[in-house]
Amino acid sequence: MSIAAASVVAMTAALVLAGCADAPESEPAAVSAADSREGPAFPVDVAACGHTSTVETAPERAVTLNQGATEVMLALGLEDRMAGTAYLDDPEPPTRWADAYASVPVISKEYPKREELLAVDPDFVYASYASAFDPKVAGTPKELDALGVASYLSPFGCEDDSLRPEPSFEAVWEEIEAVGSAFGVSDDAAELVAEQQDVVAGLADDAAGAGTTVFWYDSGDKTALAGVGGGGPQVVIDATGATNIFGGIDGGWEDVSWEKVIAADPDVIALADASWSTADDKIAYLEKDPVLSQLRAVQDKSYVVVPYSQSTAGVTLVDGAASLAEQLSQLSS
Amino acid sequence: MTGRACTPGAVLVAMLLLAASMAVALGIGPVSVSVGDVLAVVARRLNLGAYDVSPLDDQIVWQLRLPRVLGAAAVGAGLAVCGVVLQSLTRNDLADPYLLGISSGAAVGAVTVIVLGVSFAGLVGSAAVTAAGFVGALGSLVVVLALAAGRRGSLSPTRTVLAGVAVAQVCGAYTSLLVIMTGDSDAARRVLTWTLGSVAGLRWSSAVIVSVVAIVATAAFVAFADQLDAFAFGETSARSLGVDVNRVRWALMVGTALVTACLVAFVGAIGFVGLVVPHIVRILTGPGHRVLLPMSALVGAVLLVWADTIARTLVDGQEIPIGVVTAVVGAPFFAWLLRRTRERS
Repeated sequence: MSIAAASVVAMTAALVLAGCADAPESEPAAVSAADSREGPAFPVDVAACGHTSTVETAPERAVTLNQGATEVMLALGLEDRMAGTAYLDDPEPPTRWADAYASVPVISKEYPKREELLAVDPDFVYASYASAFDPKVAGTPKELDALGVASYLSPFGCEDDSLRPEPSFEAVWEEIEAVGSAFGVSDDAAELVAEQQDVVAGLADDAAGAGTTVFWYDSGDKTALAGVGGGGPQVVIDATGATNIFGGIDGGWEDVSWEKVIAADPDVIALADASWSTADDKIAYLEKDPVLSQLRAVQDKSYVVVPYSQSTAGVTLVDGAASLAEQLSQLSS
Repeated sequence: MTGRACTPGAVLVAMLLLAASMAVALGIGPVSVSVGDVLAVVARRLNLGAYDVSPLDDQIVWQLRLPRVLGAAAVGAGLAVCGVVLQSLTRNDLADPYLLGISSGAAVGAVTVIVLGVSFAGLVGSAAVTAAGFVGALGSLVVVLALAAGRRGSLSPTRTVLAGVAVAQVCGAYTSLLVIMTGDSDAARRVLTWTLGSVAGLRWSSAVIVSVVAIVATAAFVAFADQLDAFAFGETSARSLGVDVNRVRWALMVGTALVTACLVAFVGAIGFVGLVVPHIVRILTGPGHRVLLPMSALVGAVLLVWADTIARTLVDGQEIPIGVVTAVVGAPFFAWLLRRTRERS
């Protein structure tokens, strides 16, 4: 109970902090609130990372760059309003949206050249990383404005990191609401957010991880790249009520010493599964190493596996939390 | 600066300093272990008595820290003696063990495995990186020697250095291209980490290998001390002193390259040790190689033991690459050295 209460306090604090740190962000949220009451009304302003675009009419030919942005669009069922997409991080699109993804033309495997992008005649560009608005790729938001193309960059991808919110469910939901308002689907956005809020509340009630210490092993061998106190992994761990052994370190992911892992001897090792560092590779390494194989979690095979993309701040972060909670309850049963 | 006169004393002091450094370093790390517990762990493992030792202390001190402290010392010693030999052979103050493109060649192998995630010679993970790094280093050595060797098998220092630069450039182009073209979000980070070097991953098996390599290399190079002294007066003088210049040069070039290749494969390209230590020791003990070589080995060892201690303790709970530490120590010295050579010329 106290852990659930603490996590509520922590989330509230994160929300408040995100609000304080980033004034421009409050604008889209305010707009979307107005929209939900009065129905879609254009033009609307969308703002992120210090840039405000005016969306004159509901976009019908949006282009997404980077997987996170694409996932938000698909989660909102906006695939029929997309003229193209590019740059998945994973080799395959998430299976749940595979059909919707297949209906959208893929402009290029990674970033398209500016001409390729403009050739599809977009009316809206939505990306996860600032690199998408490089002059060689989409062009700067200002340049796009001049062409009458509105744009939105995920706040997590702001070039100026003082504008980046600390990863949290609330910050993810704000992004979903901002995109919802830009496309005149604030009701759908509110529904999606409400669903995720229910899931998060349910996880907090279950507290499947209460009393469990977790080492979030992202990648690395000589040193471990661990999920630490201020990133997606921490949000996911907190949501289950578990304790991150490196929760006291600032940042999202940091190289940590194996000594600290040995000394903490965690109950469970959470393994991020990514194409460049699979969970199986990491398990093999842990079990082969003369020292790490002596860890309690390795001896008991207390592993949980979470896809890397579900440990980054985005629309699937809540799935990472749900998956972690389910695996933790299986381990303890 | 009377080399021979102070030999036993200086070397003995350096040996004691190394032993003390290693003992102190064993007790320093992210997890605090008291001096008494450290001694108890080591004494129990050496069968010096039945000490009561917690499994945690044993794992941290004996399984994690001792191999890396030993490995750091060995790598420091190995790089330092290679630096001495190459500086004397090429009569170039700025020569270091990576002169012949060894680190770039190793990077080609290691980065290929890291970025593409391929297995190598049936190995996966860090073992594959080590094996591929070693093979890459040997590959670049062969190319450099083929480019540098003259018609009658002579090996001119200038040609060798230039061939090394050329090969390093090509290797660097390849690794950059590979990272940019295939770069998933993590590749660049891991490549950078490898390039800056780390002894954190050393376990007993690899620590023993690098230690043997360093000891054998130091002993072997000391056997060439007289020839190296002769080289200091130039090629013609060396020849007149009866040194088979070409044979010695080939043997030592290949010898240092093999040692460097082995060290780089295990710990990455740790910079500045091989460049800076020989100069420091020359100032301390003079240019005679019979003292310069063992002293450089010991000073290099002490330097890397402390660099690694800083690497694992500077930021609480986190590891920073040892190459960053050696660069912070080495770069100011390097700058001073450049100024000094400018004034002299």
